[in-house]
Amino acid sequence: MAENKKLDRRDFIQKGARITLGASLAGIGIAAATKASAEKYVWQIDPFKCTQCGRCATDCVKNPSAVKCVHAYDLCGYCDLCGGYFKPGANKLETGAENQLCPTAAIERRFIEEPYFEFIIDEELCIGCGKCVKGCGAFGNGSLHLQIRHDLCDNCNECAIARVCPSDAISRIPASQAYIIKGNFTETQES
Amino acid sequence: MSKKGLSILIVAIIVVIIGIIIIDFIGNNALNRGGNPYEYNVDEYKEVDPSLIHYKETKNIALGDIIPRGMDIFKGDIYITGENFLKVIGIHGVQKLNISLEESGICVLARDEFIIAGLEQEVLIFDHMGKLINSWKPDTETTYITSLAILNNILFVADAGNRRVLKYTTEGNYLGEFEGKSESDDQHGFIIPSPHFDMVVNEFDELWIVNPGKHAIENYNEKGELRGFWASSSMNIEGFTGCCNPAEIAVLSNGSFVTSEKGMVRIKIYSQSGELESVVAAPEKFQEEGTAPDVKVDENDVVYALDFDRKLIRVFEKKLSE
Amino acid sequence: MKKILSRIFLLLLFSFVFFAAQSQQRFPKPEFESGYEQPTPTTPEPRSAGMEWADVFVLLAVLSMASWLAIKKRSRKGMIWLSLFTLIYFGFYREGCICSIGSIQNVALAFFDSGYKLSLTVLAFFLLPLIFALFFGRTFCAGACPLGAIQDLIVINPVSIPSWVRKTLDFFPYVYLGFAILFAATGTDFIICRYDPFVGIFRMNAPYIMILLGVAFLFLGMFFARPYCRVFCPYGVLLNWMSKFSKWHMTISPAECIKCKLCEPSCPFDAIEIPVNEKERTESSVRKNLKRFSFYLVLIPVWILAGGFALSKAHVFLSRANPTVYLAEILITHPELKTDTENLDIQTFLESGKSMQELVEEATLIRNKFRRGGWYLGGFLGLVLGIMIMNQFTMRKQEIYEPHKGNCFSCARCIDYCPVEKKK
Ligand code: SF4
Ligand code: SF4
Ligand code: SF4
Ligand code: SF4
Repeated sequence: MAENKKLDRRDFIQKGARITLGASLAGIGIAAATKASAEKYVWQIDPFKCTQCGRCATDCVKNPSAVKCVHAYDLCGYCDLCGGYFKPGANKLETGAENQLCPTAAIERRFIEEPYFEFIIDEELCIGCGKCVKGCGAFGNGSLHLQIRHDLCDNCNECAIARVCPSDAISRIPASQAYIIKGNFTETQES
Repeated sequence: MSKKGLSILIVAIIVVIIGIIIIDFIGNNALNRGGNPYEYNVDEYKEVDPSLIHYKETKNIALGDIIPRGMDIFKGDIYITGENFLKVIGIHGVQKLNISLEESGICVLARDEFIIAGLEQEVLIFDHMGKLINSWKPDTETTYITSLAILNNILFVADAGNRRVLKYTTEGNYLGEFEGKSESDDQHGFIIPSPHFDMVVNEFDELWIVNPGKHAIENYNEKGELRGFWASSSMNIEGFTGCCNPAEIAVLSNGSFVTSEKGMVRIKIYSQSGELESVVAAPEKFQEEGTAPDVKVDENDVVYALDFDRKLIRVFEKKLSE
Repeated sequence: MKKILSRIFLLLLFSFVFFAAQSQQRFPKPEFESGYEQPTPTTPEPRSAGMEWADVFVLLAVLSMASWLAIKKRSRKGMIWLSLFTLIYFGFYREGCICSIGSIQNVALAFFDSGYKLSLTVLAFFLLPLIFALFFGRTFCAGACPLGAIQDLIVINPVSIPSWVRKTLDFFPYVYLGFAILFAATGTDFIICRYDPFVGIFRMNAPYIMILLGVAFLFLGMFFARPYCRVFCPYGVLLNWMSKFSKWHMTISPAECIKCKLCEPSCPFDAIEIPVNEKERTESSVRKNLKRFSFYLVLIPVWILAGGFALSKAHVFLSRANPTVYLAEILITHPELKTDTENLDIQTFLESGKSMQELVEEATLIRNKFRRGGWYLGGFLGLVLGIMIMNQFTMRKQEIYEPHKGNCFSCARCIDYCPVEKKK
């Protein structure tokens, strides 16, 4: 009899604790759900804030980085003297490696017609260092810019680059608009 | 290994792991994250031999909370336009006139009879009281006006968007246009990759137009025929660098050019024929990767630079010793 | 608050930058005569939201399967196959992200930063295993956690370490949990994700220090089974609470325990409770224990206060983990660093146009959060410590061999050791 009572009491405590825990879980769940959104979020670089510090190349958990240079052709001046393609001080405007700015020679220069050249990024080679972006921003039109490529990005819970980005340029944006492409950006803003 | 030994080993490894995590956590901070291994370095080109610098900054005028886009100096007054305004400021910073514009003004030109403002796609003519006398729009959608000049009563309007220079009477009657194409093969027409396309008329009534994509300054007659040019392309101080420079020019009374570059911002003086004469302001005076300041010269050959990044009009005068 | 402030600031900055950019964007590109067609930049889509929900359903399925395997089917073999699936799916295919352990931080941040967008799928990953634990025990650990799976599969020669060492180590997950929440809630860092030792293995790619940690954990795991689960896992703390009061926890014996001791060495995690010798329970020992128990019970508020006081005092130090606070601090204490052109963080700040005052204000706000957080965290850790010490003097009544409901991972190893036949 006494034994039974003891068991009952134990059961009772267990049950009480279970209900309390269950209730607090439900509480947390509901409270959090009011702050939650059904939308998926992904990390992206705001090219207008990025200062090309180089950490996108060094700090991504992926190697090579999931950040790549993207070319907004809409903004490009198609310059012969591309500030993003040639090293500062390159005196010969030729495609020789010694004249190129990109450390991995990931930019292809294609002649279109006098005097215009097209510049194409080879994402297989690009490591997202942002050197060309800096050059293009300083001496050109700023058509080159860095973006997190979502086919490569793991969408880490906390982006390892965002943590160290000195310009606070990386934030989470809705996956339905997963890029901030410089040229397209105004288009979507205006339309 | 004995059980006890293993236990000690296990605890030791755990302690080491915790230690590594803590050290890494504390150690990875703003003080020792290190520099940029992929730095875009133009420092070596920024150095300018001090003996080349013949000017010094004598004063500057803060512009406050406006977004300036262009400037002119005329008879001791500063004409400045920008996001939705056209202002006249006395040399000591006193505002004399303020016209508000519906759109952003990009360039301005002042003469005795009128003030001409160039918006992106429109030319406005005001009298000196601020009354609008005349206005017209060039007919293409892609027009992007960047500069104005007057020569023999013809108003030249630089249209960077269409890589051409338009000609009008000062009443707004269209007189023609030219794209700077020359007959010979050695020089190309205007190559304008970005909205920087400046013109200037010197004391000898010569119209000089920048061909920024070629790093060239070209002389045209009224009909738009190329009469001469010089070009200088180099990252070093002797030349122009980047895709499209010089972004802005002005002329001194002796016909020398004052040039202003973007990217690695520097203001220099070139002779009529294109030899570097001196440096007004070295890159260290400006923001890194900054915008090219608009440059203008007054009748005493004092150089005025409109520094967009710092929102200042900076005045440079020739050093006395030289 | 930092987020809000910086957002307002950035909005201002942005509207300006945007304007400048826009005016540039209207500059027309050249007109090509050779029929050149301008390409548009490609934008590869991220994994779709639908797939994220699919992950939630996989989790739900795996959790149900694990609970069934542990409680109904009682099959260790099934559990091994399930862990393998989990390892491949959540581990190598999903590359260890999203995981329930890390989701603690997302939930915490959502509570403290109204601007933070918590995904519903993440919330589901946070809640589902806990709900399951409340009913079926830690079946998540047994079958649905990729970190658990990888460690479980490499257990070779587990040694049982002295119980006092184990109990001391038990405290550490609470510390980890507490700090993870503190750093997440202040918007400082997600330390659980940052120091996840196995994610590098799942991705086959990691910074050097994380590879080192991963290897250390794997090596350790051969002798000390599931080291991450037992000494680190902050989610394990929550699961432990739930599981302790779970409704249908798995049992070692399918029927009545006959105290044959056969299962005793089977658990590599020392999670089997061994019957206590009732004869040791003398009148005097009971009284002595009761006295100590009450003493430590009364002491608990002291622990709480001491903990809270200590950690709130340490808030200046702790808040240095926050980049904004640290930047403000070094700029104030070492103004000469402003000329250090090699220091990217400082140079970027100086060029950003943000004033020192704004930075200091932001930093002060965060630091105050740390002071408050320090009180909570210290109090919490004091409470846990107090209870742990007090519990040393409870008179445990244990008559049969059964798993410790809080610590047992429901891995089902012990089941195979029990000679008792299932009642028909
Ligand atoms: S870390 Fe930030 S500032 Fe640096 S390159 Fe990446 S986005 Fe730009
Ligand atoms: S310079 Fe750097 S960012 Fe640009 S294409 Fe090369 S690797 Fe990519
Ligand atoms: S979320 Fe992860 S994978 Fe993606 S860019 Fe950031 S660090 Fe790289
Ligand atoms: S089921 Fe629990 S008690 Fe049994 S071996 Fe696994 S962890 Fe130990």
